[in-house]
Amino acid sequence: MAPISVPRKPLKLIDRVSAINWNRLEDEKDLEVWDRLTGNFWLPEKVPVSNDIPSWQAMSEEEHTLTMRVFTGLTLLDTIQGTVGAVSLIPDALTPHEEAVYTNIAFMESVHAKSYSSIFSTLCSTEQIDAAFAWSEENEYLQKKAQIVLDYYEGDSPLKRKVASTLLESFLFYSGFYLPMYFSSHAKLTNTADVIRLIIRDEAVHGYYIGYKYQRGLERVGEAKREELREYTYDLLNELYDNEVEYTESLYGGVGLTDDVEKFLRYNGNKALMNLGYPALFPAEICDVNPAIIASLSPNADENHDFFSGSGSSYVMGKAEETDDDDWDF
Amino acid sequence: MTTIGTTYDPSTDYHALNAMLNLYDEHGLIQFGKDKEAERAYVANEIEPNTKRFATAGERLRWLIDHDYYDGDVFARYDADFLESFYAHAAASGFEFETFLGAFKFFRSYALKSFDGKTYLEDFPQRCAAVALDLAAGDESAATAYLDEMLAGRFQPATPTFLNLGKAQRGEPVSCFLVRIEDNMESISRGINAALQLSKRGGGVALLLSNLRELGAPIKHIENQSSGVVPVMKLLEDSFSYANQLGARQGAGAVYLNAHHPDIMRFLDTKRENADEKIRIKSLALGVVVPDITFELAKRKERMALFSPYDVERVYGKPFADISVTEKYDEMVADDRIRKTYIDARKFFTTLAELQFESGYPYLVFEDTVNRANPIDGRVTMSNLCSEILQVQEASTYREDLSYEHVGRDVSCNLGSLNIAKAMDGGLAGTVETAIRALTAVAEHTSIDAVPSIRRANDEGHAIGLGQMNLHGFLAREGFRYGSDEALDFTDMYFMTVAYHAYRASHDLAVERGKAFVGFERSDYAKPAGAGNYFDKYTDGRAPAAPRTERVRELFARYGVAVPTVADWEALRDAILRDGLYNQNLQAVPPTGSISYINHSTSSIHPIASKIEIRKEGKIGRMYYPAPYMTNDNLEYFQDAYEIGWQAIVDTYAAATRHVDQGLSLTLFFPDTATTRDVNKAQIYAWRKGIKTLYYIRIRQQALEGTEVAGCVSCML
Repeated sequence: MAPISVPRKPLKLIDRVSAINWNRLEDEKDLEVWDRLTGNFWLPEKVPVSNDIPSWQAMSEEEHTLTMRVFTGLTLLDTIQGTVGAVSLIPDALTPHEEAVYTNIAFMESVHAKSYSSIFSTLCSTEQIDAAFAWSEENEYLQKKAQIVLDYYEGDSPLKRKVASTLLESFLFYSGFYLPMYFSSHAKLTNTADVIRLIIRDEAVHGYYIGYKYQRGLERVGEAKREELREYTYDLLNELYDNEVEYTESLYGGVGLTDDVEKFLRYNGNKALMNLGYPALFPAEICDVNPAIIASLSPNADENHDFFSGSGSSYVMGKAEETDDDDWDF
Repeated sequence: MTTIGTTYDPSTDYHALNAMLNLYDEHGLIQFGKDKEAERAYVANEIEPNTKRFATAGERLRWLIDHDYYDGDVFARYDADFLESFYAHAAASGFEFETFLGAFKFFRSYALKSFDGKTYLEDFPQRCAAVALDLAAGDESAATAYLDEMLAGRFQPATPTFLNLGKAQRGEPVSCFLVRIEDNMESISRGINAALQLSKRGGGVALLLSNLRELGAPIKHIENQSSGVVPVMKLLEDSFSYANQLGARQGAGAVYLNAHHPDIMRFLDTKRENADEKIRIKSLALGVVVPDITFELAKRKERMALFSPYDVERVYGKPFADISVTEKYDEMVADDRIRKTYIDARKFFTTLAELQFESGYPYLVFEDTVNRANPIDGRVTMSNLCSEILQVQEASTYREDLSYEHVGRDVSCNLGSLNIAKAMDGGLAGTVETAIRALTAVAEHTSIDAVPSIRRANDEGHAIGLGQMNLHGFLAREGFRYGSDEALDFTDMYFMTVAYHAYRASHDLAVERGKAFVGFERSDYAKPAGAGNYFDKYTDGRAPAAPRTERVRELFARYGVAVPTVADWEALRDAILRDGLYNQNLQAVPPTGSISYINHSTSSIHPIASKIEIRKEGKIGRMYYPAPYMTNDNLEYFQDAYEIGWQAIVDTYAAATRHVDQGLSLTLFFPDTATTRDVNKAQIYAWRKGIKTLYYIRIRQQALEGTEVAGCVSCML
C-alpha cells in the first residue's frame, strides 16, 4: 500500500498578515495557552532513553514487536498532525494569536514524531525499525484512521476540521499511549514513558485548546448548523471508535490487553467530547480503566524521582525577571 | 510478577490497588485502605509463594553461605545458639510494611534473591539481622542493639549499608565520595579513575573542578591551549554511565565549580535545554560554590571578576579552591598578574535561577558560611552528590606514572538516618548512641584501596553522617504545623539534643579506642573554653538552652526526652577537651529517598512534596506513596512543600543547621508561576539565614484548567 496522500489542493494559509500585537488580546486564552506551550518546550534529547536499554533487552520478542508497532502508529499520527492537521487550522483562526498558537502546536507535533525515532534508534536495530514501519503502512485500520482524519482536514468546514483535530489529539493517540503507561507501571521502559508523558502533557493542552476554539466557533453559527455539527461529531467519533476497536485488536490481541485498552478508548472518547463541549457518549461503567493507567496520566509535573532514574517529566522553562535593589537589601 | 498477557483483575492487581491511592473515592476521600490491601496482596501473592523456606535459622545460614549468598566470615563470629535465638527474636517482631511502595521497594531493591532472580531469600527482619551481625563484628549485645533499632524503625542505615552488609556478592557500604582534582593531567586522570572505581563499588561521587585552568589558558606558557572544564565534565559523565554497581544502579556523579572560575557560564550552559550535543550534560549533577563576595557585589550592583585559576595558583602558590575569594577579592582584582574577565553579578544570579528552572541544577554551596561553621582545621571547598557532606580535604600529588607522590585526603561518608517520630517514641538518647556506633562500625570496616586519599582520610578521621527524617510526619502526628513557631522551637531543641548525644557517643568511643581522630588537637573542639571552642555557643547564652514554648516543653516531657542543659554541655566539653572525639565529623542530613519509603517516613526534614507522592524509579516503575500518619481527618497538617513555601523551609533548616557540623540537603519548592526573581530571593534569604548549601530546585506545574484528570489526588491544589 502506498503512503497516504497529502492534501491535493494547495493549502492556502491566510489572505493578509498584520503585525501581531500580543498586548492587544482578543481572547485571553490565546496568551494563557501560548505561555503554557512555550513553557513546556522540550526536546527528546533531554530524556536519557538509553537508560532503558537493560529493560528493553529483558523484554520478550513479542513485547518488542508490539512496542515498535505502537510507536510507528503514533509516529504516523504525529506526522499528520504536524505537517497537515495543525497547519490546516491556521487559515480558520479567528485571531492572529490563535495562528501563533497553531504554529507552536504544529512544531511540537513534529518534535513528537521525531521523539519516536529517537526512541527507536536508541533501543532497536535498523532492521526492526524498518519492519515496524512496513507494518504501519500495511495495517488497514491504521491507514483507515489516517485517511479519515486527512479527509476532514482537506474538507471545507473550519469547524469540522477542529472536531477532527480534537478527536485526533484527545482520542486517537491514546490506544498507543496505553502501552508505555502500562509498561512504566510495571517498571519497564520508564524513561521512554517519560518521553510519552511529555507528549501527553502537550496533547492534553492541544486537544483542550482546539476544542475550546471549536466551542467559540459554535457561538457564531445558527441553531441548525450547531445541531448538524453535534450529529457530525458523534458520527465521526463512532466511525473512528469502530475502527479503533479493530486497530486495538490487531495490536493488543496477542497479549490479552484488548479489553482494558478498549475501556481506555472509551474513557478518552468521553474526554474528547468534553473538550468539544459535549456530554459523554460512553457510560462510566464501561470506562473503568486500570487505575494504574489513569493515575499515570496526570499531566502535572509532580513526579519525584531519584538520581539513578533519569530526569522525569518535571522541569519547565523559567521566566526571567531581574531582581531589584530591595531584594538585595541586607 | 504481573507480566504482559496475564489477565487483569483490579481486585488482586497490586499495582492497580496502589494507584487507587491517587484517585478519590465516590465520597471524595483518599483511599488509604487500598494501599494496605495492595501491600497484603503483594506479600501474599508474590513474595510468600516465592520465598525459600528453612527449618531453622542455622540451616538457612548454612545454605546461604554454602551457596555463596552470605559472607561466612560474618556469621562465623557468633555461636550457633545465639544466632538461633537472634533470628527468632527478629522473626517475633511481626514486622509488616506500612505501604505498598515500602514493601515493593524492599523486595525489588534490597532483599537477597537467588542468582536467577526468581526466589526471595530474605525478608525485612532477616535483612536487618544480617546487617546488625555484620556491623557488630561478633559483639552479641551490640548486634541485638542494632537489630532492635532497625526493626523498630528508629534507625535506618543508608542504602549502601543496608543493601550490602552480610552478603557475599556486594559493593561497598559507603554512601558517597568526594574527590579533589588539581590542575594537572595526572590529577585529572586520577579523578576519572576514581569516578570509575567508586561507581563500580556504589555510592555517588563528587569531584571538584575549581582548580582546573580555564578555556584558553596557557599550557607550558603557550597561550590559548587549554580546553577548560567542559571536556572534563564530558569524560566524567561518560565514566559514570559506564560503571554501575553489579547493574544495581547506574553510577551517579556531581561536579563543583567556584562561581568566580572563568568557565562558570560555560559550565552552567551545559544544562541548557538547547545546548549542543557536544557540550550537553544530561546526567551529571552540577554544583556552584558561591562565596559571600558574590552576594555583596550583586547587592552593590557591580560586575564580578572571574579569576584565572592558572594565574592564581602561580601568584599564591596554592590551588584556586584553597584561596578564599571573599578575602582576596580586592587584592586579586588589583593584581595584574592574574587574568580576569567580568560578568554582571546580578545577571549571574538570574542565570543560576534560569538553569534551575530548566534542569533543577546547580546546587549551591555558600563556602564562607560553611568554612566559618567548620570545626575542623583545613578548608571545605566542595560538597557531594546530595550537598550534605562538608569536610576538609587535602590535595594529592602524583608522579608521571600516576603513582602517588603525596597521598592527600579525600572523603568517604557513611550515612544513616533516625526516624524522628520513632526515635522520640523510644526516648532518643539510646537511639542516637547506637546509631553513632553503627555508623562508626561502617567506617572502621571500610578500606577504599582504589583511592588511597579516601582510605587515608577514613583511617584518620572515621567521619560519619547521622541524618534525620520524618520531621513533617512527626509534627503532623503531634498536631504541629510545619514551619510554625512551635515547630521551629521543636526542630531547634531536637537537633541540639541529638548533637549532644552524638558528641557524647563519639567521646565514649575515643575513650574506648584510646584515641581521637587525627587533627583533633587543631580543631575547634580542642580550643580552650571561651576562646573559640566549638561548644561555646551552647554555654555562653547565645542560643536557647531550653524550649521557648510551652507545647514543646510538654512534648519533650511526654516522651521522656531530656534537653541538655548548659551544665551538661560544660561537662561534655571538658571531657572532650580531655579525651578527644573519635569521629572527625558526625552529622549530615541527607535527602533520604528510598530508605524513607521502606521506613515509612517523610523525607529528611522537608515538608512532603504531595499528600500522595508519585515516585518513579527505573527498578520499580511509577508508584504512589501516602504521607505517614495521614488520615482523611488530619489533612490540614499535611500541607505540601509548595503550599508551605520556601521561607518556612529555610527557617526550619536554619534551626537545625546550628547543631549540625556538616550540611543538610535543602530542596526549594516553587509553583510554576514563580520567576527567577523569586528563586533569587529565596537564595538570598537562605544565605542570610546561615544555610550552608542548597540542593535541588523543584517546580510544580499544575495542569491547565480543563486538562486535568478528574478525581486525582496529586492533581489537587
